[in-house]
Amino acid sequence: MVTFIEGIGTRTLKLCRSAFETLFFTWQVILHLLDLKTYNKATQLVIITQLYFTAVQILPLFIYISALMGLFLMGIVLDSIKQMGMAGNLGNILMGFIFTEVCPFMTVLLLALRSGAALNTEVAVMKVSKELDALNVFRIDAFDYIVVPRILSGIISVVLLNGIFTLVLLASGALFSRMIFGLAFDAYIRILVVSADFSDLVILILKCATFGFFITLLPIRYGLTASNELSSIPIAVLTGMNNVFIAIVVIEVLSLILSSI
Amino acid sequence: MKERHPENLGLVSTDIPLISNLNVWLNIALIRLYHLSESRLQAKRVVVGLLNRFQKREIAGLRIAALDHWERYLVKLLRAAMVQDALIVIDRPFRLVPDLPDAELIENSLTRIDDLYFSCRILDYSWNRDRYRIKDVSES
Repeated sequence: MVTFIEGIGTRTLKLCRSAFETLFFTWQVILHLLDLKTYNKATQLVIITQLYFTAVQILPLFIYISALMGLFLMGIVLDSIKQMGMAGNLGNILMGFIFTEVCPFMTVLLLALRSGAALNTEVAVMKVSKELDALNVFRIDAFDYIVVPRILSGIISVVLLNGIFTLVLLASGALFSRMIFGLAFDAYIRILVVSADFSDLVILILKCATFGFFITLLPIRYGLTASNELSSIPIAVLTGMNNVFIAIVVIEVLSLILSSI
Repeated sequence: MKERHPENLGLVSTDIPLISNLNVWLNIALIRLYHLSESRLQAKRVVVGLLNRFQKREIAGLRIAALDHWERYLVKLLRAAMVQDALIVIDRPFRLVPDLPDAELIENSLTRIDDLYFSCRILDYSWNRDRYRIKDVSES
């Protein structure tokens, strides 16, 4: 019984320590993000490279998946709206559910699976192979050179890719609303514009930026927990990716609460 | 005499690896890009010029995994020389380039870039002293 209680205590302490360390790491990242001295030529070069890896290289696959998802999702949603006789709420359902909830969620899921895992492994490998020590010897701040560019490109990538995902779904929506409701394209756009709320747009962009921030911050943070042994890499990646998915759910729930206020 | 600070240290060692996700010229230029915020083109021009001193211009775009021991040593040496007023410390050169018979090539490599550093020290085991063929070797 005592061992069981001790076990709970140990786990709680471990969890609290990990949460505190993550918060402290987040604070350090924010300070470096806001510091203009961070953005030297080396950092700028990494930002461009990371944007290419995170937002450009994924584009063909991303557009293919979003088109496929768009066709299925919009077909099912619009057909259900018609069957339930909710055609009057078409704009609200599309804007309030599909474009502000489903699109960012799918975007962040795809990016977390691809770039989050890659970042986590990259940083863990750099730690194990002592490349971070090499940076330190030459007085290159790992926060400036490794962490900040990756997080910044993560934020920009999620916001931009969410825009592309939304555009593809909008196009699918236009196609299906014509097939199911016989709506002309201009009428479809008018319905969406009327249903769009400026505050929803702000929350959407903030949510995408927060998603981008955390799906890059957490893999880096847990990548840095790798020890000097190769066997610590899979553990660091596993822990990092677990925390990324927890963060995605937490941000999604918080944004739902925020938008319902 | 100039005051030396640890930040002038340009360490060349097997324990200080090259960055695996950067190619050769970026590994060398990184210090200039970061500390001097030099433009990419300018830094690349400097690095290619330095590689040319060793007739190794063609390795500028290669990844580290594609280099042999001697080329890796040269890249590490040039990276260390990019530190302003560098105090280059070469830690056990025969660990860096195991197939060298003596230190002639090491000395030669240092001579070719002697305009880039302030001072240089080579640290090695005493049983390797014959391979250096120099008289003023100090033991500690």
